[in-house]
Amino acid sequence: MTTATASHDEHHHGPEKGLMRWVKTTNHKDIGTLYLWFAFAMLLIGGALAMGIRMELLQPGLQLMDPHFFNQLTTMHGLIMVFGAIMPAFVGLGNWLIPMMVGAPDMALPRMNNWSFWILPFAGGILLSTFFMEGGAPAFGWTFYAPLSTTFAPDSTDFFIFAVHLLGFSSIMGAINIIATVLNMRAPKMKLMDMPLFVWTWLITSFLLIGAMPVLAGAVTMMLTDRNFGTAFFDATGGGDPVMFQHIFWFFGHPEVYIMILPAFGVVSHIIPTFARKPLFGYSSMVYATASIAFLSYIVWAHHMFLTGMPVAGELYFMYATMLIAVPTGVKVFNWISTMWRGSMTFETPMLWAVSFVFLFTIGGFSGLMLGIAPADIQYHDTYFVVAHFHYVLVTGALWSIIAATFYWLPKWTGKMYNEGLAKVHFWWAVISVNVLFFPQHFLGLAGMPRRIPDYSLQFADFNMISSIGGFAFGASFILFTYIVIDCIRNGKPATARPWEGAKGLEWTLAPKAQYHSFNTPPSRELIKSESQHS
Amino acid sequence: MNEKEYYIPDGTYWPIIGSIGISILLIGFANQMHGVSWGSSAMVLGFAITVFMLFGWLGQVVNESVNGQYNQQVDRSFRWGMSWFIFSEVMFFAAFFGALFYARMLSVPWLGGADNNIFTPDLWNGFSATWQQVAFTTPGTTLQSGTAISIPTKLVEATGLPALNTILLLLSGVTLTLAHHALRSDNRNQVIGWLVATITLGVAFLGFQVMEYGHAYADGLKLTSGIYGSTFYMLTGFHGFHVTLGVIMLTVILFRVQKGHFSANNHFAFEGVAWYWHFVDVVWLGLFVFVYWV
Amino acid sequence: MSSVIIIVIIVGILLALGSGLLGLMRGGPEGSEKMFRSLVVRVALSLFLFGILMLSGYMGWIEPNAVIMDATIAK
Repeated sequence: MTTATASHDEHHHGPEKGLMRWVKTTNHKDIGTLYLWFAFAMLLIGGALAMGIRMELLQPGLQLMDPHFFNQLTTMHGLIMVFGAIMPAFVGLGNWLIPMMVGAPDMALPRMNNWSFWILPFAGGILLSTFFMEGGAPAFGWTFYAPLSTTFAPDSTDFFIFAVHLLGFSSIMGAINIIATVLNMRAPKMKLMDMPLFVWTWLITSFLLIGAMPVLAGAVTMMLTDRNFGTAFFDATGGGDPVMFQHIFWFFGHPEVYIMILPAFGVVSHIIPTFARKPLFGYSSMVYATASIAFLSYIVWAHHMFLTGMPVAGELYFMYATMLIAVPTGVKVFNWISTMWRGSMTFETPMLWAVSFVFLFTIGGFSGLMLGIAPADIQYHDTYFVVAHFHYVLVTGALWSIIAATFYWLPKWTGKMYNEGLAKVHFWWAVISVNVLFFPQHFLGLAGMPRRIPDYSLQFADFNMISSIGGFAFGASFILFTYIVIDCIRNGKPATARPWEGAKGLEWTLAPKAQYHSFNTPPSRELIKSESQHS
Repeated sequence: MNEKEYYIPDGTYWPIIGSIGISILLIGFANQMHGVSWGSSAMVLGFAITVFMLFGWLGQVVNESVNGQYNQQVDRSFRWGMSWFIFSEVMFFAAFFGALFYARMLSVPWLGGADNNIFTPDLWNGFSATWQQVAFTTPGTTLQSGTAISIPTKLVEATGLPALNTILLLLSGVTLTLAHHALRSDNRNQVIGWLVATITLGVAFLGFQVMEYGHAYADGLKLTSGIYGSTFYMLTGFHGFHVTLGVIMLTVILFRVQKGHFSANNHFAFEGVAWYWHFVDVVWLGLFVFVYWV
Repeated sequence: MSSVIIIVIIVGILLALGSGLLGLMRGGPEGSEKMFRSLVVRVALSLFLFGILMLSGYMGWIEPNAVIMDATIAK
């Protein structure tokens, strides 16, 4: 496989014409683009639901909607953001970038790649259609605890269950494809420890996906039979246990949160060295830290359940195991800081997002440590403190890295530069408003405001209004983001092949707008070495 | 195809056809459960489209393979894909085994008053916390959903049909290994013979499994018999579904062997299906031990 | 004691099956050889396990689920 030539006939070199190109495509760049636009559409829908939530919470009292609809909004907001926006966005980034980063012409299983995308619109459509069904959309929270989701849920729940099956199927196929690509399509001269960190983090994420998503499929299958065929998995009158649902769900759910953050670590590990103009500090420790986090993520699930009844030994074990995750995560944060230490730093837009990621994600990490202390969790459990915590890790963590990646690689995707001035305005707008939005929620939670309620007592009014105003401002920032991206695609100035002079990586050796099939010839050892994160 | 080239397929319609098929199937299923009249017809339609897609897609792959469009690298990609797909299946079964162990070791004893749950038996008058009959034994009590609890009058025996079925599956593992051996020494007639034996054993297993279900059902062990009935039917049911898939795949492989698609050195499809069959076999062993015995 | 042995054998079967999967992944002549050998081991272990199960049941070292049930009902 040393001197590969173009594989097939001439027509492979360019995309097909017309709309069917997008339906039939087996090209990783096309599919990556589809994923990213799909994720963005879902982000806007999920964001619109969040605006509804903040609107209702602007003032105490029931203002706009009945509580049942409010519950539908919180549930669907969570589901859409997790399964529709963040995960597909990362798969989209992986699709676009991994083949280029490992010096391959495409993904290992291109037809299956098409399928793992083209299931998503159907799954998303089924999920969204539940809003228009009798009894409304699922209203039991994104964690769909039994018996709320079994005995007390509307008929639309069965559609939700099938949507989750399809989403899981799509994720598993995507993960299989990424493993096969990284391990089998990698340039022959690229060793594992030469791989860029985004590739490493995605490889490890894929193992998490394959281990966790089938368990989720099992959980919703049990829900389905409990609801329709009279089984008693989560029904104590038949010897089952609703707490068992939580165990199975969180056995999926905890790896899931790392599925959503490990690729983010990878993205940031690319951007910070570029703009600090230094090689990444502690490359191999980053790899090992990622692997340790992934391993630990499988054995800490019950820290989500400290208040649902567990033997004390279990509480202690899950508390200490949870604390352990802070160690490899700390390694990563220190490595990023050490990379910046004494670097010649500049602050182009991707760097601004990446640096604020490190800062804000660490806040979310610390509040996670607080939540992980079993005795203290009695105070925090199911309050707005939890909401603040996971929005700091998911919005200013996962979403931040996706936006950072968008600005960082947009020149490579489009061959054009975005408007740097506008992008900086957008950054400051978003970073200020997101803190106005989520930081007060810590205080609300510590003061005892429960999550998932449409009304609250008067002492919470001020912070809620501040939070809502921040929310509207943050929501509006995405109008500017959309404009910047579309403006870049249509009117952007031509970019160079390596628009960031400190950037390392095989993708920057390609044309300014990466060609439809890159690396028909695998890169040489010298090129791989000079473009690796070690140099 | 040249070993030094990358294989990149043309655009394809199969995935979108598959998505449409599966979506119609699932939407039909949900509607059928809710008593909508067209639900079952939609299920049949969706299922037909999905099967059409599977045969079309895999048929295309087989043709390309036979025409020599693949090289070692493509072969390895398929291996990785199949292996990790099976691993995801392992995790799917793990969820149900997990439910079995949790109920068996924790929730049922707790409901019976173990550990610090000493008041439960008083609060739950008439609840039997025994393994195969975990539910309210008082006639007329229902599950939370309102479904009547079906109390089995006889218990599932580990000897008899289940033991026979275990022997059948284990033998099928032996015959499949013999077929594999024959294939590796390029003895096509023997391969066909052992494959036919394997398929026959698999079909016999399925037949006896249906009989076993009939007996259990007649004795009142149903999905609605509490957690034992739930785990029993879901585990054996999903297992039976996988055996059915395995039999279908083995049959396809049998036809491909007859057409001479495989050689001693190049028979990934055979190996993939063989491993799948061994996996299904091991799942049954786990079932036999944990559901029927220990 | 019997159940411990049974579980140990099951773990052994799973390991053999997993090693077969590794062989399947590797492919090529060595991979094929590894897969074949592991699967032979796994078939042999399975037969052995079945034998042990039947023997222990017959000798009364372990009791099937159903028997445990009967005792409880009698009580």
